[in-house]
Amino acid sequence: MLSLPSIIYQNFSMKNKVHKKWIVLLLFVMSLPAAAQNKHTVSGYVKDLANGEGLIGVSVYVKEVETGVVTNPYGFYSLTLPNGTYNVVFSYIGYQKISKTVDLNTDQRVDIEMSDESENLKEVTISTKKEDDNVRSIEMSVNKVEMKTIKKMPALLGEVDLIRSIQLLPGVTTVGEGASGFNVRGGDISQNLVLLDEAPVYNSSHLFGFFSVFNPDVVKDVKLIKGGIPAQYGGRISSILDVRMKEGNAKKREINGGIGSIFSRLTYEQPFAAGKGSFIVAGRRSYIDILAKPFLNKDLKDSKFNFYDLTAKVNYRLGNKDTFFASGYFGKDVFGGGDFGFGWGNATATARWNHIFSNKLFMNLTGYYSNYDYNLGQNENDEQAKDRFVWKSKIISKSVKPDFTYYITPNNQLTFGGQYINYDSRPGKATAVSEGEGLNLDLPSRHADESALYIANEQKLTDRISLQYGIRYSYYRSLGPGTEYLYGDTTAGIRKQPIFPGTEYGKGDVIKTYGNWEPRFAVNVGITSTASLKLSYNRMSQYLHLLSNTAASSPLDVWTLSSSNIKPELADQVAAGWFQNFKDNMFEASVEVYYKKLHNQIDYVTGSDLLLNQFVEGDLLTGKGRAYGAEFYLKKNKGRLTGWISYTLSKTERQVMSINNDNWFPARFDKPHNFTSVAIYELNKRLTLSSNFTITSGTPATFPTNGYSWGGISLGNNYNNVRNNNRIPAYHRLDLAATLKARKKLFGIGEGEWVFSIYNVYNRRNAFSVYTRQNDDKPTVSDRTQNMLRTEAVRYSVIGSLIPSVTYNFKF
Amino acid sequence: MKKYKFSTVRIFQTLALVLAIAGLSSCEDVIDLNTETGPTQLVVDGWITNQPGTQTITLTWSSAYFDKNPIKPVLGAKVTVTDNLGKVYEFTDKDGTGNYTWGKLNTDTLGHVGGKYSLRIEHEQEVYTSKNEIKRVPKIDSLVYTNETLPFTPDDGQKTGYIAEFYARDFAGTGDTYWIKEVLNGKTNVDKAEKISIAWDAAFGAGAPSDGLIFIQPLRRSITYDSLYQAGSHVGVELHSITNEAFYFLQQIVEQSSNGGLFATPIANIKSNVINADPNGRKALGYFGASAVSRMETVIDPKKARPED
Repeated sequence: MLSLPSIIYQNFSMKNKVHKKWIVLLLFVMSLPAAAQNKHTVSGYVKDLANGEGLIGVSVYVKEVETGVVTNPYGFYSLTLPNGTYNVVFSYIGYQKISKTVDLNTDQRVDIEMSDESENLKEVTISTKKEDDNVRSIEMSVNKVEMKTIKKMPALLGEVDLIRSIQLLPGVTTVGEGASGFNVRGGDISQNLVLLDEAPVYNSSHLFGFFSVFNPDVVKDVKLIKGGIPAQYGGRISSILDVRMKEGNAKKREINGGIGSIFSRLTYEQPFAAGKGSFIVAGRRSYIDILAKPFLNKDLKDSKFNFYDLTAKVNYRLGNKDTFFASGYFGKDVFGGGDFGFGWGNATATARWNHIFSNKLFMNLTGYYSNYDYNLGQNENDEQAKDRFVWKSKIISKSVKPDFTYYITPNNQLTFGGQYINYDSRPGKATAVSEGEGLNLDLPSRHADESALYIANEQKLTDRISLQYGIRYSYYRSLGPGTEYLYGDTTAGIRKQPIFPGTEYGKGDVIKTYGNWEPRFAVNVGITSTASLKLSYNRMSQYLHLLSNTAASSPLDVWTLSSSNIKPELADQVAAGWFQNFKDNMFEASVEVYYKKLHNQIDYVTGSDLLLNQFVEGDLLTGKGRAYGAEFYLKKNKGRLTGWISYTLSKTERQVMSINNDNWFPARFDKPHNFTSVAIYELNKRLTLSSNFTITSGTPATFPTNGYSWGGISLGNNYNNVRNNNRIPAYHRLDLAATLKARKKLFGIGEGEWVFSIYNVYNRRNAFSVYTRQNDDKPTVSDRTQNMLRTEAVRYSVIGSLIPSVTYNFKF
Repeated sequence: MKKYKFSTVRIFQTLALVLAIAGLSSCEDVIDLNTETGPTQLVVDGWITNQPGTQTITLTWSSAYFDKNPIKPVLGAKVTVTDNLGKVYEFTDKDGTGNYTWGKLNTDTLGHVGGKYSLRIEHEQEVYTSKNEIKRVPKIDSLVYTNETLPFTPDDGQKTGYIAEFYARDFAGTGDTYWIKEVLNGKTNVDKAEKISIAWDAAFGAGAPSDGLIFIQPLRRSITYDSLYQAGSHVGVELHSITNEAFYFLQQIVEQSSNGGLFATPIANIKSNVINADPNGRKALGYFGASAVSRMETVIDPKKARPED
């Protein structure tokens, strides 16, 4: 069986007849379970005793053979061992350990329910040699933050926020407060695959970038993968943010909610069919508009500004081999005043089927639909208006994705599967009406599909050395109907003009294809029982590009598909790390270094027109990127004080012909130094205190070297025509919070808690940007007669003060 | 006040309002900034029209960005404009102020619709050239004003007054570009970049579907910028035809000058259309433009004002 990987590799090296080989290989792999005879399998699900939620990443360890596995994203595990009697230990941070004696003479199904450490239960807890997953597992460059922790950290306006918490991890930066998304190891925000129950979320922000779309009461598990990305993931080149929703309490009805300064939240979960199924429904809505209404007069009275989201999930277990899940998200931001309106939103729907083919072969089949759209205009809904402007844009993707895990032996775990995605992009549709006369403009829609197949094996070579090797092949087709235009290649940096006439394509015609092999590799070498050295390499490709030339990405940015003129983005990353735990796993520490090369990166000509532009491809430039750095991370997992400190030293650069005189320049989000600390201190059973502190380098900026006056307007010019050769001042901020559990039962049955927080405690005006502009103070008489430049430099701070807040959360 | 821009500027204003209500207040502080200074460059500020009267091309030197000295004129240059018929117009700096002029009489007219114009500047050893042309311009059909009451009292203006609005129709055929200028007391009033109002066909940009329409409402009302007009105000509009290149030049000025906020674009140099004959020589700054102009003016009479919307 160990020869299987070599068979796979031989197949990979032959690049011809790809698809056929894959199918043959998959069939071969699936026929394997008949092989082992003198061995048997123990498998099952690990769930939370309190609510029946499947637990992800629980370590399942067999003392006798010193080997183990971890549960998959659905809580499933499988171990195949020679016949015998074994002690199987289930352990998970924050939960009581469970040890089961398993007599393995036949295949066994062992489903486990684990209980929270804080709850006192009869289950026997035994102390064995502690598991230290971060050291032992093959995973590197992965950050997991427990929702429990995220909920205790200080938050802006008391709103617990996943993306803002992610920004405190090593290797992660943001261009500034209020900016949408996050940047991982030199990648821009569109290079993160943000998954909500496996469906991609195109815009993860509410209110531009201040809050994220994930309702914290519904999120079960968050995992950020920055490097060594397994073969099952693809489609974005920098990172994977895998967000899994709760399944809904399978034991009893539960109601959670909260009243904060921005959102009010309510979550309802309940089991049905005698615990075989459960569901969860959650909603949030901002209500500043309602609070503000009495204070707005006349014209502002009909101002609209609110954002809301609805999240729901249902699961049903049929027999002990099949589980079905359906989940959905719908969110919207609505802004406007007078006759002007603006809105955007995501909608995703995911259906999943978990099937256990045999106790060694697990399948998850996912189908999803994801939609992002926005609209903007004047008198949008008033079709009779004499003056009107409406503009809409959207992108839809639909996908089917089978994933298999084949637990061959404890030393070989094979994963394989594929994905098919269909894209439908409608970049812009506009209507303009002036004095009753109207015109329409419909930018042609774009179609494409992306297919991928992957196979990977995780192999324990010796006690000390484990490997993960795999390959993914992705294949992209730009499809008709449509007209394809090529562009005249003129001077670099100048808008390229389309060559007429273009080539017409019919429905389903293939306009352009791209294929990419994406090898993935990782190795873990155990140095001592508490330390290991890990290495990884991954190549990623991306066929979907976010066109954004602003400092922070705006909701109007358009996702564009690869075409003859836009090549797929590619990235190669190597990473190495030292992982070590101290004091009985109370502390975990890591040092990682990475080097990443990015190919076919998109930039823009000066004065580019990215919106409502049919020939937007003529405004794009192509360049390359490189990023490298070192990440230092120390995390305290146990005790009354928990939290982490992290420091990242890094450099992120881009090189694009015609920009910065063709030389490398720092990317907009390059922050060489980045230090964060998160501390949570449990003072007593009722009161928890927490703090965040961040200090980072300022982002790069370009300043003029000279000033001149034209047409009475003072302007700036950089003589050397450079980009990002200066930096704005360093950013630092301290936040504090206190969570106080109410002493009294809420209405005699429920629990309540108050969360008090202060954001930006010492009231610093951190610069989001520093820029120069004309000074528009009324010129004095002498100014006027002397004919001087009127110039000034301005520091722009998104948040100009400290922000206190109070939130009340309840649970029944 | 009533200037709508379907752009990030507008979105940003909405954002600021929402955040202020949420208790998040962003702020801008004027700070000291040390910047390097590069060599000085020639700045050309010239725009010829088809209107009778004096035509001026101003030549100055660029300076350090925060220089507090008067702007230095370029003296002793030889400035000529040659039209497509070969006629040469000589511009001279009579007062030694860097303002090079041609034409004295009100009957002297330089530009004509359809004409092509070449600028040549010789200064010491350097020669700079530029080209432009005069495109067609539609006539202004009417100039009206509407009663308006603002929801609040602005710092430097009144709560009630009039919004002036002009009506004109874009020519059929895509790609006509215009510069709309507010006229106050007989003079055009563009002293800051935010006041630059430019049109592609009858709307803001090449992407919007607006060919052959009456200019859209936000453009029609763009001549009312800072504050409302009052009874007796002497208001008006000038509509200039400009080339697409001039449109992009002006768009870059607006972009560079409104570059604050979350959605700022990378600061880039504004591309001049004045070229140094020596490709290795210092580049020139500024722009040499050419326009045909339509103009209409009126005095606000409350009796003729349209009722409030």
